[in-house]
Amino acid sequence: MCVGISMDGVSENKMVPSDFSTGPMEKAAKPLPFKDPNFVHSGHGGAVAGKKNRTWKNLKQILASERALPWQLNDPNYFSIDAPPSFKPAKKYSDVSGLLANYTDPQSKLRFSTIEEFSYIRRLPSDVVTGYLALRKATSIVP
Amino acid sequence: MAAATAAGLATNVFPFRDARAAPDPVLEAGPVAHGSLPVPLVLDNGSFQARAGWACPGPDPGPEPRLQFRAVCARGRGGARGGAGPQVGNALGSLEPLRWMLRSPFDRNVPVNLELQELLLDYSFQHLGVSSQVTGEGCVDHPIVLTEAVCTPLYSRQMMSELLFECYGIPKVAYGIDSLFSFYHNNPKNMISSGLIISSGYQCTHILPILEGRLDARNCKRINLGGSQAAGYLQRLLQLKYPGHLAAITLSRMEEILHEHSYIAEDYVEELQKWRCPDYYENNVHKMQLPFSSKLLGSTLTSEEKQERRQQQLRRLQELNARRREEKLQLDQERLDRLLYVQELLEDGQMDQFHKALIELNMDSPEELQSYIQKLSAAVEQAKQKILQAEVSLEVDVVDSKPETPDLEQLEPSLEDVENINDFEPLFSEETPEVEKPVATVQPVFNLAAYHQLFVGTERIRAPEIIFQPSLIGEEQAGIAETLQYILDRYPKDVQELLVQNVLLTGGNMMYPGMKVRIEKELLEMRPFQSSFQVQLAANPVLDAWYGARDWALDHLDNEDVWITRKDYEEKGGGYLREHCASNVYVPIRLPKQASRSAEAQASGKGSGASGGGAGEQA
Repeated sequence: MCVGISMDGVSENKMVPSDFSTGPMEKAAKPLPFKDPNFVHSGHGGAVAGKKNRTWKNLKQILASERALPWQLNDPNYFSIDAPPSFKPAKKYSDVSGLLANYTDPQSKLRFSTIEEFSYIRRLPSDVVTGYLALRKATSIVP
Repeated sequence: MAAATAAGLATNVFPFRDARAAPDPVLEAGPVAHGSLPVPLVLDNGSFQARAGWACPGPDPGPEPRLQFRAVCARGRGGARGGAGPQVGNALGSLEPLRWMLRSPFDRNVPVNLELQELLLDYSFQHLGVSSQVTGEGCVDHPIVLTEAVCTPLYSRQMMSELLFECYGIPKVAYGIDSLFSFYHNNPKNMISSGLIISSGYQCTHILPILEGRLDARNCKRINLGGSQAAGYLQRLLQLKYPGHLAAITLSRMEEILHEHSYIAEDYVEELQKWRCPDYYENNVHKMQLPFSSKLLGSTLTSEEKQERRQQQLRRLQELNARRREEKLQLDQERLDRLLYVQELLEDGQMDQFHKALIELNMDSPEELQSYIQKLSAAVEQAKQKILQAEVSLEVDVVDSKPETPDLEQLEPSLEDVENINDFEPLFSEETPEVEKPVATVQPVFNLAAYHQLFVGTERIRAPEIIFQPSLIGEEQAGIAETLQYILDRYPKDVQELLVQNVLLTGGNMMYPGMKVRIEKELLEMRPFQSSFQVQLAANPVLDAWYGARDWALDHLDNEDVWITRKDYEEKGGGYLREHCASNVYVPIRLPKQASRSAEAQASGKGSGASGGGAGEQA
């Protein structure tokens, strides 16, 4: 008997992937045998709003609403275990080669370590310059 | 220089493997999964890869997890064609053509999009052969061990529990942390151990102190950097260095470089000094060979062709200007003749004709006419001179040519002239000196292979270094070493001593050569003089979480205290968690059950213990 059932299951399983012409275009189009076909995610963001609001909350939104919960002071939660910012001064590395950089180009604010790098930097097109600065998150205009 | 590069050309050239994933077969569950007790399914739900398999009891714990696939799905190309739904994981083959359509249920290391999670679970269950085991209607009859993030948000656990219990009808589930399962696997079972876990995954790196076998969640720390940030950094570095190969520098290839060609320097500054030396560079640079592409981006013209083009433009400009000048001269001449004729009318005494002509010309008095005539004749003279000059000289000094004195009525054409000249001016000011130079015939042998190679030098150590120095990519968080020190300082000295005796490194991002040595060096720097510590790399950093979860499941099959049953879920809400040696810490805050779209949903009436307008707004 259990062979019978497993055979059924296997054949059903094999049939299922090819049987997609009939199902309507909704989540449970192919009735997979191991799940409830009528299941609807309740967290499908703003469910009360109906079909319009179909987006899931992203992590930022989830964390924002988690902050509002009644945590005690010492409870561990996702945002309390974020590592603290660094206290040590950051070392400066050349944007182009990664070596230790002692110098900064005043025109483009890129860091460099040798004379050849400097001439390379001065010949770079502006989009590459912006790209290097963005990599370091140093693109702000405010000095 | 040509000789030196010819010698070093053949060494260190590596092709990209560009591996395609083979689609998974639909496995039969087999005798392994049939037993008196339902066999637990172990699912290591990671943001990089999901690994699924059975936890079979018996003498032989069994091979590797049956399924390992990338935790991504993408709709097939061409939009939602009828029937061909989203493909998951290994069924996608190569990820690159679909890069922009890839969707993952994860946001950082937390699953937020449960629809995609449902797809991944469907895929796992289907390919493990779960459907052949169905005894009831539409449910999975096996207990499930699932991994979750450290201190995962309650909302996320609620959504996950809802998916498992209500959609799949699972009898019981146990949630655990992947690094703790790995710790469980790597430590002898009969001892209650303490230690420190440094676990670095795809999205983030955790440092977890374990005391007496239980996670000390208050003192855990998470750095939001992992393998994916390293791959992104490497990609940007290479794209900025080789802007011509922008499209060929893909994330999959970056991951390949990280997995096979990168290492962690024991002392970063010292290693950089070594790279300064050109010989060391030559010996250690890895040249990644890109496949040949016939479209060379950028200008396909050689320098001779460019010069030809410039000269053609010069000639055209000359001709244009000469023609303009002649036309203008002609017009001016005609005008001058007419005015002179009118003046003769005046001299001859034909006053009324003269006056009529004056009115035609819009002038008021003979003096005005006179001055106009003078100006015009001067202009005509100048134009004649210019034409003579232009014919004589071969080189056009167009830059120096000032527009002719603008006549009142002929202002517009002269402006046009000026504009045209100005258009060509930048071209000329840059390039006229170069026209003089003979074109050097460079590169008699154009090495096509070298053009398609990416030289990966210091990038080999720069990309993995970001978890030690997040300031490399502008992150403000502290790196592993500083965070480690921060955590250790929160304990008394004896506990610190206890923790550093058992440091475990786990997670895929820890597999760089030189990682263990680097961590040992960092510990040496921060620990007191001549104190001891012990650092151990997990036996298999990638799969140990799955193995540990399987071992744990087998050891705790009979223990009812650690599984969350369906009854627990219904009574205590989705955020409920039962603690065990490898789990998170449960904080008993009650989330209201989300109102589902169907009318008979339990509304926010269930929001008992939880307070706050914030929580209520979730309903």
